[in-house]
Amino acid sequence: MEESPLHPFELHNWIPISLGGLDISINKAVVIMWVVVSLVAVLMVVAGSARKLVPGKLQNMAEIMVDFIRGIIMDTMGKGGMRFFPLIATLFLFILFCNLIGLIPGSYTVTSQIVVTAVFACLVYGLSLVMGFLLHGVKFLGILVPPGTPAWLLPLMVPIELISQLARPISLAVRLFANMTAGHVILGVLFGLSISGGLLIGWLPFAFTVAMNGLEVGIAFIQAYIFTVLTCVYLGDAFNLHGHDEHVH
Amino acid sequence: MPPSQDPLYAGLGQAVRIGTEMLAALIVGGGVGWLCDTYLFGSTPWGMVGGLVLGVVAGIRNAYRSAQRWPKT
Repeated sequence: MEESPLHPFELHNWIPISLGGLDISINKAVVIMWVVVSLVAVLMVVAGSARKLVPGKLQNMAEIMVDFIRGIIMDTMGKGGMRFFPLIATLFLFILFCNLIGLIPGSYTVTSQIVVTAVFACLVYGLSLVMGFLLHGVKFLGILVPPGTPAWLLPLMVPIELISQLARPISLAVRLFANMTAGHVILGVLFGLSISGGLLIGWLPFAFTVAMNGLEVGIAFIQAYIFTVLTCVYLGDAFNLHGHDEHVH
Repeated sequence: MPPSQDPLYAGLGQAVRIGTEMLAALIVGGGVGWLCDTYLFGSTPWGMVGGLVLGVVAGIRNAYRSAQRWPKT
């Protein structure tokens, strides 16, 4: 039973496909992504099809989620941000379900691959850049100059602001990836301990495994929530240049 | 506190944010400095040193800024 705790993250091609030198093979992560997409789609369509005034269980759950996402958008971007609702709701539900499905033994956590999280982060950040330049034109570069900066500080402040801007997509991608990977490594190590410990002492790490699994469910929610909030914050920054810090309080 | 956010979740979310925010700025600062050193100016190691210093400053600034967004309770 000697296994590396990183073993569950290895991917093997199930159906190797190569398209013009591009490797688009089907592996476990791809299949799980399909499962997640169809699960979310079916769940939301079924929940939304009834449209009863007194909602049933499923409709109630969907309404809570939609309300939750709308609350996040309203708090960070205001009413103007509602045009991004489809994108943000899709991101939230996809990441949440990926995180949760990964906790089922035998399945795979798609969000523990930095490729997946980096694509999301680049999409969000690229969209905020495009929006900013479309709305404000060249004036959008003013995001690199914090309001109230004296002129002699500019050569120092602009590189710092540039770095903190470039750090946004990286922190977005790394946070989700690192949290999911670390959680599953801990679960793997604890479970390995309980197997090699035997019955005499093995129950102790096993109890920790159960507790950690509960914690991981919470982390799955929090990470999806954080990703969504930061998406809204970054898109909102592109909307209203400066002055975004003031009306948050 | 807006009613849409559970205070516990919002607080945990803020706590989770700050660490990675500092780390990411450090990575970017050092990375940009290293790239300048290796491919642009050949000024090893000073670009990376300067980049790391700027990265630390940017990271602390990011953390400070996200702490400013905390709701007052």
